Amino acid sequence: MNRLLSTRRLTDIASHAYIWLLLLLFVMPFAALVNYSLTGPRGEFALQNFAYVFGSFTENLGWSFRISLLTLLINLAISLPAAYGLVRYNYPGKHLLFAFLSLPLYVPAAVLGIALVLTFNFTYRLTTSEWGLVLAMVVGSFPLMLTPTVVALKDLPIVFEEAAQCLGASKWQTYWRVVFPLIGPGIGAGMLLCFIIVFNEYLVTLFVKPTFITTAPVRVFNLVRTAGLLPTTAALAVVMQVISFLAVLLFFRIYGTRYLKGTYLL
Amino acid sequence: MLLLVLPAIAIVVLFLYYPLLFIVQMSLTEGSSYLSPAGPIYTLQNYAEMVSRYLPNVLVTIELAALAAIVDLIFGFPFAYILVRKVRYRNLVRSFMVFPMFGALYIAFGMRFLLLPGGWVYNLLKSFGIQNPQLYGLPSVVFAMALFAFPFMVLNIGTALSNIDPTLEEAAACLGAHPLQTLQRVLLPLSRAGIVAGLMLVFGWSVGAFAEPLLLGSINEQRSLAWTLYQRGVVQTDYGLSTTMGIVLLILAFAVTYVALRQSKGVLGE
Repeated sequence: MNRLLSTRRLTDIASHAYIWLLLLLFVMPFAALVNYSLTGPRGEFALQNFAYVFGSFTENLGWSFRISLLTLLINLAISLPAAYGLVRYNYPGKHLLFAFLSLPLYVPAAVLGIALVLTFNFTYRLTTSEWGLVLAMVVGSFPLMLTPTVVALKDLPIVFEEAAQCLGASKWQTYWRVVFPLIGPGIGAGMLLCFIIVFNEYLVTLFVKPTFITTAPVRVFNLVRTAGLLPTTAALAVVMQVISFLAVLLFFRIYGTRYLKGTYLL
Repeated sequence: MLLLVLPAIAIVVLFLYYPLLFIVQMSLTEGSSYLSPAGPIYTLQNYAEMVSRYLPNVLVTIELAALAAIVDLIFGFPFAYILVRKVRYRNLVRSFMVFPMFGALYIAFGMRFLLLPGGWVYNLLKSFGIQNPQLYGLPSVVFAMALFAFPFMVLNIGTALSNIDPTLEEAAACLGAHPLQTLQRVLLPLSRAGIVAGLMLVFGWSVGAFAEPLLLGSINEQRSLAWTLYQRGVVQTDYGLSTTMGIVLLILAFAVTYVALRQSKGVLGE
């Protein structure tokens, strides 16, 4: 056995091959969708399916963006103070409170869907309003915003705030000029995760959406269920995934990957 | 100050905990009698029916989720180990690993194209000489579910593994341990917490699978609870039965509350 093929080298090659094989599997379903969405009626290469996406599917994409944006704003408004209250003050039961707040992430979407649609119907009278859908998205996704914000705030030493106040900054000035900019990447990571999840959410939406709203993922689901496998549906799914992926790449470009630590990604 | 956390508490109480209590109450009423002007009829019949008629649905749900968790463990442990110890291009791996996060719907949809006659997997199997393979069924569903939850398994095991000092493995090797012995006596015991958390998390996430059994399964897998719940509740408006299924699903998924508690410790620190 020569040095090039020593056992150590062989295991190294096998290890990297294993990683790449699994990464290939990860993108396989996506690649299949891309391939099919670029196929014309006679099996030739065609771009016409994407014309559909920006034709008859524009309304669905619009709804998806609108719902995601509203959800993001509400998430920000409730997660920032909550993170501050969880990190900067000490009181008994803090861990339990955090678990209590992040439990929505672990409730199956179908259960959340049926529970919300029934209470919207009988208690809150929200079935015919856009806000019902937005609030359903908020409860399912704000823990994704909370966690990275908490992590970022915990890593920010309290001396920055104390120094600002010693120099005469008011409470609000301290938040706007010191705290928020310094935990910016954490907030950004939370916004990214929320956007990806809400933008692509179809199951809770299917239960609670008013009849006049059809978001893009629900449209994909309905078309797959009723119209079978169409290349135009594949094109819509590809567009959704590409938009989500661009959001991820943009975040990686600006902040790097380390701020997503402790959330979904290693 | 609790006042700052109050809006968040209000959201989860109003839109998670109250609705969950509401469906507990609803699951004790008969059919859609909650709506009738005579008032709801309270009964335990729905739970009896879960056992007498829908036990196969519960079992297939558990089976699919458990298989997905085991598949993820088998493939995820080596993946996490290599990623933590050998890989330098971790950012690249991370960007690939976001694809499953976009949703099980696209995974299931994409896999349907792969399994279709003329699809890549179909053609591959055909080139091996397998004629008319039955591709829609348990293996495809489990594969799609495992793919969806894979990053969570890798995250949990990877965190546990990166806390193990690499010199421990070297020490084991110096003392003459075979790599398999090192795995069994050093790595597995030290990463046990991560493995358990990963298994529970993947199981808890997978019991609610909806698109995968529906789009990739045969009739047997399509009996899984989430889809049956949707049909009974939204299509047939049998609120009593569908909320009972919701409760059963919730109980199955709450294996992961333990994980939630553990992670809250990790995030908030001391």
